Amino acid sequence: MTLENLKAWQVAAVAALAGIGVGAAGAAVQRATPWSVGDLRIVSAASGPAPRIDVGETRHAFGTLGTGGTGSHDFVVGNRGDGPLTLRKGATSCTCTVTDFDAVEGGSTDGTKVVPAGGETKIRVQWKGKPPGGPFRQQATILTDDPRRPEVVFTVEGTVVPTWKAVPDLLAVPRISASAGERVTADVFTYGPQPPLVTEAVLNDPKLAQFVSLATAPLSAAEVAGETGATGGFRLTVDLKPGLPIGQLKQTIRVSFTMPEPLVAEIPLEGTIGGDLVLAGSGWDSSRQALLLGTVSGKTGLRTRVFLTAKGPHRDSVRPTVREVVPESLQVTIGDGSPIGTGGAIRIPIDIVIPPDSRAVNHLCSKQGPAGRIVLATGHPDSPEFTIPVCVAVGP
Amino acid sequence: MKRLVPAVLVCSVALACIAAVPERGADVPDDLVAKFRERNGPIFVDWPAARAVLVITGELDGYIEPCGCTGKENQKGGLSRRQNFLRAVEGAGWPLVAVDVGNQVKRFGRQTEAKFQSIVDGLRAMKVSAVGFGPGDLRLPAEELVAAVAAVGDQPTPFVSANVGLLGLDAGITPKFRVVEAGGLKIGITSVLGDDELARIKNADVEFAPAGAALATVAAELSKAGCDHQVLLSFATPEETKALAAKHPQFDIVVTAGGADEPPLELPTLPGGAKLVELGHKGMFAVAIGFFTDKDKPVRTQRVPLDARWGESKDMIDLLGTYQQKLETLGLDGLGLVPIRHPTGRRFAGSEACAECHQHAYDIWKETPHATALTTLEEQKPRRDGDPECLSCHVTGWAPQRFEPFEGGFTGMKTSPQLAHQGCENCHGPAAAHTAVERGDVRASEAERDRLRQELVLTLATSEGKQKAVNNCLECHDLDNSPQFDFDEYWPQVEHNDPEKADTDTQAKPAEAAAQ
Repeated sequence: MTLENLKAWQVAAVAALAGIGVGAAGAAVQRATPWSVGDLRIVSAASGPAPRIDVGETRHAFGTLGTGGTGSHDFVVGNRGDGPLTLRKGATSCTCTVTDFDAVEGGSTDGTKVVPAGGETKIRVQWKGKPPGGPFRQQATILTDDPRRPEVVFTVEGTVVPTWKAVPDLLAVPRISASAGERVTADVFTYGPQPPLVTEAVLNDPKLAQFVSLATAPLSAAEVAGETGATGGFRLTVDLKPGLPIGQLKQTIRVSFTMPEPLVAEIPLEGTIGGDLVLAGSGWDSSRQALLLGTVSGKTGLRTRVFLTAKGPHRDSVRPTVREVVPESLQVTIGDGSPIGTGGAIRIPIDIVIPPDSRAVNHLCSKQGPAGRIVLATGHPDSPEFTIPVCVAVGP
Repeated sequence: MKRLVPAVLVCSVALACIAAVPERGADVPDDLVAKFRERNGPIFVDWPAARAVLVITGELDGYIEPCGCTGKENQKGGLSRRQNFLRAVEGAGWPLVAVDVGNQVKRFGRQTEAKFQSIVDGLRAMKVSAVGFGPGDLRLPAEELVAAVAAVGDQPTPFVSANVGLLGLDAGITPKFRVVEAGGLKIGITSVLGDDELARIKNADVEFAPAGAALATVAAELSKAGCDHQVLLSFATPEETKALAAKHPQFDIVVTAGGADEPPLELPTLPGGAKLVELGHKGMFAVAIGFFTDKDKPVRTQRVPLDARWGESKDMIDLLGTYQQKLETLGLDGLGLVPIRHPTGRRFAGSEACAECHQHAYDIWKETPHATALTTLEEQKPRRDGDPECLSCHVTGWAPQRFEPFEGGFTGMKTSPQLAHQGCENCHGPAAAHTAVERGDVRASEAERDRLRQELVLTLATSEGKQKAVNNCLECHDLDNSPQFDFDEYWPQVEHNDPEKADTDTQAKPAEAAAQ
């Protein structure tokens, strides 16, 4: 039977078998190949002197290391075979290096290291503790010509500790009402031989000091113990008072302390101070302050939901009603308010419907189509009206 | 010829069988693939065709693309490579479910809001089935979160959470879990935010429930869904995640946040039998879990470095371009960047002003990459010179790690071209007062003049002085951007205090003499 006489399924079957065969061969080559692709060296399965790698520990836990410090550890690799064992550096993590493979360090000029039968060698792995610190794991791979174990991965793990660390490292108040206050805290952990002594905590803009009070207190022994490697610490408490100017809040709190050398912890305080009423929902573009509904098919219409959120001391008095809608084809229904979480904010659903077969209009917020709008009477004593600009067109 | 055609077909199909492993992006040169396979290890070795593959990512931490002044090629991560990896998995014919544990961003402000929106757009484009919330995400104002996260028309939100509710747990913006099907397998997925994390979040527009209690409720519902596999995305410390997993052994894949920068090569197995997945930080790795019909080895796992072997995805590059355009449009004012006071309280003069006296040092600086730092941003595609996170180390007078200008620092090529590039004053300090006195524009006593000179001196002669200089370099040559940085190796490339040439400066200043 010639190949041209094969039916389609037979061709497929042969192809599949050939594929499996070639694939298996490829896999076998990969398994028996001591080096990575590009430096192929197939190990013969023929009998004769052969290396046999013997590795003890492949994982080293170094505990803690200060930022800026360097750690190193020697892993021992033996050769229990009757032929020489050749080692070569493989992949390493970017802050982890394997030494002793250069000719000047006892290796060969080609970057390999040969362990004679019955001998052993040390693989020195070095690593650096770089800022900002935290859990650390780096790996170094050694490639071997022992077909039973073509690669060995050595892992070093531990914790890199800085001089101090703030948790969280940024005090964020996503959006608070100018008429309400807020409290945020950060724990500053220290890693020196002595506990920190706070001397001062200040905002970088003294004009805001009347709206922001800062306080510090030592962390308890249990709180310090909860942070790996920490030896002391303090809690920074920031109270934001009502009256902050509306807009972006972007400050740095500088906390000076001694351990006993003088240090300064700079902790950003960022947030948005806004009004009591805010809209949220799919299509709401806060930078344009407009609800972008796009072009809606007149045949199918549109159904969407957005939310009005109310904060501040008058939040419970907000009971919106619809005062005006443009275009008229927008049907707006306002649901009941519900507290969010512990009730610091109230959520009021607003359902917007463009019914099928609505007539064509253009309010895409352009010269040809000025913005539409939904105007609500809110019940809020300071913001009695709330307008939602709407960019929408209804097509055929 | 007739005999040749089937033979070619056989070979083609056979080669297709070998090439079915997703190990590279399309159109990536062979030598580049080989280079990174050797550097970061081969992947999917010995994997047969998978029945389905779960690809897990997370902790992007704002790294929408890998950064690095030493060449992005050498860094791992970014949405572009992630998409090409997912495409390669699908291209191999492996049914795919992609999930993400969360924390797309870690900072705050208008740029972070724009970035979060772009990243979520990217996750939608990649058809990620389930995304959890991280603490960085939940620092954003609710109107930004909801606009990015909520369902768009018929397209559901990719986010799921058992214990985080935007605008309330009952607002219905995100489901508590999701069940997806791939390769005939039903996979149930939920996510939680750990109690330690949620205790630190101050966001009145987001409602939280304790992770354990919320997970108990969702786990009961998931149990009824008849899933073949159940996945818990836990944005919590490994310890807290393990405790949750121990209480709910029904989850056979448990993903945790925290841990080291780099995930382990082999996934540990928890006492209940679940695989514990760590992802590292900054989206540098994905973890793939393959499900197979092989009863002896029904599950295989692979850590996937998202390196240059995956190439770039045009869709994600376009998305990045849109993001950069938005930053450009907003400008520094629109991004809410208010210049902060420099710790010295002084302002900047520009490197050209330094050259008036320190010509020798200036001439050397002019030949270093520091002198064209901003140009490198302008020449990138898309260009990055409107991105504060890039600008901060490519111009003069910014706080590198805060991504914002000092008062009197660079604000744009139209307003402050003299402060373009990585100039003298970023190391030596703001020199406007010094230059004004030296020029005679401002009268000062001799003592005051000497004090201003002395303020700008950097010396390597003492350990304290050298440490100050090294720390200054590390502000930009940090682990993200310059992981190989070593001061002693890099300094000779920019050294500008050669005593033999110092006298070519128009005036030998005491300050410079001290620096030598």
